[in-house]
Amino acid sequence: MSDAPFEWRGGGCHCGGVRFEVALPATVEAQTCNCSMCAKTGFVHVIVPESRFRIVRGAERLAEYTFNTRVAKHLFCAECGVKAFYRPRSNPDGWSVNARCLDSLDGVDLDLTAFDGQNWEANAHELSHLSREPA
Amino acid sequence: MTTLAGHCHCGAIRVSLDTALTAAELPLRACQCTFCRRHNGLTTSDPAGHAHFEAAPGAVTRYRFGQGNTDFLVCAECGVYVGATTETPEGLTAVINVRGVDLDGFDGRTPEPMIYDDEAPAERLARRAARWTPAVVVEAQPTS
Repeated sequence: MSDAPFEWRGGGCHCGGVRFEVALPATVEAQTCNCSMCAKTGFVHVIVPESRFRIVRGAERLAEYTFNTRVAKHLFCAECGVKAFYRPRSNPDGWSVNARCLDSLDGVDLDLTAFDGQNWEANAHELSHLSREPA
Repeated sequence: MTTLAGHCHCGAIRVSLDTALTAAELPLRACQCTFCRRHNGLTTSDPAGHAHFEAAPGAVTRYRFGQGNTDFLVCAECGVYVGATTETPEGLTAVINVRGVDLDGFDGRTPEPMIYDDEAPAERLARRAARWTPAVVVEAQPTS
């Protein structure tokens, strides 16, 4: 289908042990975040529904870190530490992919906004639509 | 001499930099290599200072790539990249990932993008010996 709204794109950690694919439209809503965790990892969020993400390899290499409410499952490669994707607290039914870990951003227009994760409770509703599966 | 301090997210690795410089006088570098872009690393160093990494038992993952002469230190518990060390003829030297440990005093600074791709190994070690911070990495031993 040449007019498919989504294109599958690859990405991964640094050492190559963890690989994923994510289906993205031409214009992608993306968020930076100032919460305590994202400030330390520089994560650039691209939140997608479950059906638009798949782990290609390396699920067994993922280490999991949780804190505070422990809803978010922060996943990183146990070898190189790179957090290429995780289960976000705002969208635990979907995935947040790190735009920094995509192989290429060619042809992708990142529409970047600053999410105020320091006031997460007041703002999380802004993100809830991003993991909704198409009807 | 002042001490700037920080830590990874879970606190298993604590980092400090003893320096005669203020945070505003220290460099802030955004290396553009494949590793630093993924971790969004922002590093600093002071060759006249001293860097101290203190880790809980088993908390340090050492990752190597490329020329293979550098340990990239990642917290095994929370995945945060805290800094990198290289052995030089003068001893162990380090950069600290200001972002990863939220080192005191750098808020609002604009980093300088750095590209080191064309460096030969000897050149790289010489640059680090001149710019990086003399360092120690202390890993606590398990108590049981």
